[in-house]
Amino acid sequence: MSAPRPAPTDRGAWLLVARRDFRVRLRDKGFAISTAITLTVLSIFIFVRAYAGGGTPSYELGVVGTAAAGMPVAAVAEQQGIQVSVRSFPDDAAGRHALSDGAIDALLEGDGLIGQRDVPQQLRDVLQTSAAAGRIGSALADAGASSAEIARLLDPHPLQVQTVEPADAHRDANAGVAFIGVFLLYGQLFGYGVWVATGVIEEKASRVVEVLLSAISPRQLLTGKVVGIGSLGVVQLAFIATFAIVLAKITGALSIPASAVGVAVLVLAWFVLGFAFYAGLFAVSGALVSRMEELQNATVPINIVILVSFFISVGAVQRPDAPIVVLASLLPFSAALAMPVRIVVGAASAPQIVASVLILVGSTALLIPLAGRIYAGAVLRTGARVKLRDAWRAAR
Amino acid sequence: MLELIDLSRRFGDVVALDGVSFVVPAGSIVGFVGPNGAGKTTAMRIALGVLAPDAGEVRWNGAPVDAAARRRFGYMPEERGLYPRMKVRDQLIYLARLHGVARTEAAGRADEIAQTLGVESRTGDRVEALSLGNQQRVQLAAALVHEPDVLVLDEPFSGLDPVGVDALAGVLRRQSDNHGVPVVFSSHQLDLVERICDAVVLIDHGRIVASGTIDELRAARARRLVRVEVAGADEEWFASLPGARLDALVPGGVILELDASLDEQRVLDLARGSGDVTHFSRVRPSLAELFREVVQA
Repeated sequence: MSAPRPAPTDRGAWLLVARRDFRVRLRDKGFAISTAITLTVLSIFIFVRAYAGGGTPSYELGVVGTAAAGMPVAAVAEQQGIQVSVRSFPDDAAGRHALSDGAIDALLEGDGLIGQRDVPQQLRDVLQTSAAAGRIGSALADAGASSAEIARLLDPHPLQVQTVEPADAHRDANAGVAFIGVFLLYGQLFGYGVWVATGVIEEKASRVVEVLLSAISPRQLLTGKVVGIGSLGVVQLAFIATFAIVLAKITGALSIPASAVGVAVLVLAWFVLGFAFYAGLFAVSGALVSRMEELQNATVPINIVILVSFFISVGAVQRPDAPIVVLASLLPFSAALAMPVRIVVGAASAPQIVASVLILVGSTALLIPLAGRIYAGAVLRTGARVKLRDAWRAAR
Repeated sequence: MLELIDLSRRFGDVVALDGVSFVVPAGSIVGFVGPNGAGKTTAMRIALGVLAPDAGEVRWNGAPVDAAARRRFGYMPEERGLYPRMKVRDQLIYLARLHGVARTEAAGRADEIAQTLGVESRTGDRVEALSLGNQQRVQLAAALVHEPDVLVLDEPFSGLDPVGVDALAGVLRRQSDNHGVPVVFSSHQLDLVERICDAVVLIDHGRIVASGTIDELRAARARRLVRVEVAGADEEWFASLPGARLDALVPGGVILELDASLDEQRVLDLARGSGDVTHFSRVRPSLAELFREVVQA
């Protein structure tokens, strides 16, 4: 006999597995591609919000003669929340020249309005209203009203608007963030779940799993795989969130609420909870089949559940208190998608949040040993698809 | 010493193992032979703990095998398997680490075993880029990289060229002789088993049908055969000899099967009386012949 060696336990073996799975997938082409796609889509979303939508529409209006002729127009425009800058030109020719250069959007010549190809409808409306106001003003003056009275009549104080529910100044911005968040969560849960399943099949198809299981227990192998892949998911999500927040801050246009970082942390936390729940299911569906081609079929039930949860959660952005949304935010299958949305738009109560987390964590704790047993019973059986019941019995 | 004690295992209605017991003593190499489907792989999987028996147990140095002990086993499964896209060296280090080798030692062990098995020039390549023969060597390296206390190898020689066979046989012999490692391997290459193994276990239909050293097997199982060539003798010169039967005709002579009571010398005497004896020898049945005899019985 050789010198007695300390008998190693496989405690901590999962860490070795996790490190390998993390590294292998970090270097995977699929990881780079999915990161790039997510960042691109997010950037487009942020840029569109920054430069297209939102902001005050503004027009350049040319006036022949003194700029004073255009002043009433600017005033009316302001009442309507539109900005119209007035530029004066000495004669028609100079005005038309500016028009063809694109320096102005339209040219006011006496009673007529000239555009290059067309005049924006908003600008036409403003001019129409302004002309009407001018005539009404003249009529009132003829009737002997003072100019102060005329001004007061034509420019009444804006209506006081009140809402029944307290208004949240950030509601729109929050809805936007919730929307991005639920998209990211869905992509991440689904993508990394499938990665767990393919990781299991890879080891099964290449038969390396028998070599691995002669060294460590199925539980260590499964734990390591889920932790390794999940950690990569967390890292990627954190990276994407940081990128999005920084980009939004730089472009400045998407008014990210001060709590954006809080939202990012929230999304990360719910990813961890949701992934822990789904990873076991994905691992089982991978262990039941032997070839990649069969994976699609094996994961159909999980896919449907996640997809339905996703659609409900997208709806939750607008209607966070609909009964089905509240239910979805409590059920373990959908909580990781629906609850963060309700939290971000400010619809979830503290007891609901606590209940949701407890239910999700509790069902995960119940699910993991079951999934582990089925995984252990199925992962060494190649060939035909393994029946759940057989896998359950095979593991002892 | 590795002991398999009364192992039974069914798969549905199929009885794969039916009370299988045998021992692999420290420092000896045991060949595990039997027809396809006899239960070799099932027995080996149970020994490694990747499969649970319905009944029976596996003991290592007198104690039931637990996870910690198993981690010190070296195993080469029948279904070869490595990560196809992982580099050879990374893979060996990873497997060594899973078997409990310290981080600081793993790389050295990987290089050493790669050298021993002649794949040291390919350690930077992905496994899928290697020829089947070299993949096989890497698979063996994976089973040996953690310097196991016990070696269980399912068909380790299949797919190896003669040079690879010699390299592996040398490794097994050294593990066994120098480190006292019990080695058990299955094989259909019976000449190889005969050459390398200290003992043989023969399994058929889930039962052990013979076990022991090859000489013991011969003594217990084999018929007594002599080959006699007599020039100028009558074809039936042995007909008058009670207890001798013709087994086969061979060029220039015959092979006779002798009853236990019949002395070989009497056969020789009779042969010399019948003509010029040009050849007289015991026929030692090969393992392959023993195998056929036992399995067909």
